[in-house]
Amino acid sequence: MSLDRQRIGAVARREFLTTVRRRAFLLTLIGTPAYFAVITLISTGAELSGRHQALDELRAVGVVDSSGLFAGAQREIRTEITPDAPRFGQRSPLPAASLAFRTEVRFYADAATAEAALRGKEISQSVIIPPDYLENGRLRRYARSNSLFSNTDRRVIAAWLARNLVFGRVDSMIARRVARPAEGEVLYALNRRGEFELKDEAREVLDFLVPVMFSMLLGLSIIIGGQYLLQGVSEEKESRILESLMCHINADELMAGKLLGLGAAGLLVIGTWVGVGLLVSGPMLAVLPIRLPIWLLGVGLIYFLLGYLFFGSILTGIGAVTNNMREAQQFSVWFTLANFVPFIMLTTILTRPDGVLALALSLFPPTAATTMMMRLTAQNGAVPPWQVALSIALLALAAWIALRGSARVFRTGLLMYGKSPSLPEILRWALRP
Amino acid sequence: MLRVLEVTKTYEERPVVDRVSFEVRPGEIFALLGPNGAGKTTLIRMITDILRPDSGEILFDGRPVEARDRREIAYLPEERGLYRRSRVIDVLAYFGELKGLAPREARKSARTLLDRVELGDWLEKQVQALSKGMQQKVQLCTALIGEPRLMILDEPFTGLDPLNVQLFEEILHERRAAGTTVLLSTHQMSKVEQVCDRALMINRGRVVLHGTVRDLRRQHADHAVVIRTEDTLPNLPGVLAMTTTNGEYLLTLEPQVSSDEVLAALVQRGIRIESFGIATPPLEDIFVKVVNQGLGLEREPRMRDGAETLAGKGR
Repeated sequence: MSLDRQRIGAVARREFLTTVRRRAFLLTLIGTPAYFAVITLISTGAELSGRHQALDELRAVGVVDSSGLFAGAQREIRTEITPDAPRFGQRSPLPAASLAFRTEVRFYADAATAEAALRGKEISQSVIIPPDYLENGRLRRYARSNSLFSNTDRRVIAAWLARNLVFGRVDSMIARRVARPAEGEVLYALNRRGEFELKDEAREVLDFLVPVMFSMLLGLSIIIGGQYLLQGVSEEKESRILESLMCHINADELMAGKLLGLGAAGLLVIGTWVGVGLLVSGPMLAVLPIRLPIWLLGVGLIYFLLGYLFFGSILTGIGAVTNNMREAQQFSVWFTLANFVPFIMLTTILTRPDGVLALALSLFPPTAATTMMMRLTAQNGAVPPWQVALSIALLALAAWIALRGSARVFRTGLLMYGKSPSLPEILRWALRP
Repeated sequence: MLRVLEVTKTYEERPVVDRVSFEVRPGEIFALLGPNGAGKTTLIRMITDILRPDSGEILFDGRPVEARDRREIAYLPEERGLYRRSRVIDVLAYFGELKGLAPREARKSARTLLDRVELGDWLEKQVQALSKGMQQKVQLCTALIGEPRLMILDEPFTGLDPLNVQLFEEILHERRAAGTTVLLSTHQMSKVEQVCDRALMINRGRVVLHGTVRDLRRQHADHAVVIRTEDTLPNLPGVLAMTTTNGEYLLTLEPQVSSDEVLAALVQRGIRIESFGIATPPLEDIFVKVVNQGLGLEREPRMRDGAETLAGKGR
């Protein structure tokens, strides 16, 4: 069947302009990054304030020492916290401002007295050290409250125990080092180029964030374009305009125009996010140790095009066989989720980017784009070129099959209203030449 | 212009269109009739290349319908809609572009058409702000834009008030005068009688009537005449039955008596005749009769005075 470029262009132009002029588009464009920014700020702030709060509440700790090991122990714990952000800046000109917290250590004769002090809010925690502590390390800690996700208080008390176990028995410097044996550790790890690279805290955060960010952007751009397609086809079915259109344009041209126009709308969203993101955080990014090869952009674009073609074709077919947007979304959610499956297995993929799971997911077309982007941007493992080539080839094949099948389903399903066809019927349409 | 030759379309082993053949001539208004489910929409979809026939051939300008013919054929389907949240001018210009017009030309053409259907003040409004009748007019414009040579209109008058029906008819006649051929599918038989030259009726996928509207009505006429007079009609020889309504007499004649003989008898008796004509059934009755025959039911059509008076036929 011959395709008319002028008609495809008209459809693509209309789909693009109609979509980008919608309020919902603006909401996606501005609202989504704003939402993530707010969530990040809230969670970072909550994490920091959680640590502060834990130390702030730890003003006094009660100790019942039945072992006698801590008779001469220090009666005060001093803790300093340096906020994370300036720590990126071993390259930053701004000095990190630290916060100091003081915890008083009070000794009690027995557990009952300590408990009474705890209940009476004189102390916030009590540590019961039994006589055989040295042999088996067992002790009990009582707290007025317990945070699910913070172990700051535990770390503070553990450091006090370690330091005071040896306090007065060895040199004070040794005692301090026993309490914090890896305080000044600097880790170097092999990167994908085979070089040992400094793995500081900032680097670790980036090693995690960069792959997540890139694959999330890719996954979102694929799905945003796909969702626009689904919405467009569903609206046309609901408004019953399709039969009028089909006299002017054939189903293949209509589908091609939609794929082009709405793919461009999806790209515009991602382009804007990336552009604004670079503008806003450009100075900070300049000092961050992010080193990504330029070819990655090209590979990302290929994955976007193929992934969008694959998911977009399937979602267009779904839009054609369902009667309205609600029905369409019920079916499409499964395919949309497939694109984000790699995020569920994020830790495994980033820990072992060359592992079996990562390889399998990057070859399986529905998860290939996001998984491969994760692997390619992960800092601790190089992806062999043959794997990238095979992944792209398989995704291209799947996209072609999805496009052909969906075009057939689209042609048949567009003018059908009422009961949605069964899966065997849809498959029959998809396979019919 | 359009030739449909032995076209068949089958769904789940049931022929929906069964060996249908007809021809639509350039510049005529051709009616496609049939009860619901007769296969009209399937036939139209095949003509517009939305569906492909299982067998048979559809020729446009003497060759099979192909992609480029989409610019020459316009279709206003019965189940129709518009982009509700788009501006009227944008929707129409979009259809113009799909018809092959350049974007600027499409907008210009859309404005002209909207002015013609008296919606010139609404072109910047969203479609959903328009009344149903106004939307109907925009839908007609989607078929008119690009000046197609063949317009296929499926129930174009549904939901329109009499003024807008009149406007539609005017536009149809304008287009016809400009050389556009119209294939009209409707259940409003009075409109078919008023505007169509020829008609084809299908039932259960098969052609059951085909010919000029006048011939169809005459073919199905019973042996009767309709006379309008202010005088009281006497008993006439050869008349089996006589009924009167509002000064109009319906005389059912014996088989061997001709209408000429009845007219002569009336003149001879000095009856002042305002009009005299062969009683032809309305198309609607013929439609009902033919469909019922198809279902094995029989019902006689009503008699009505047609436009075909004897005087009108040159006597």
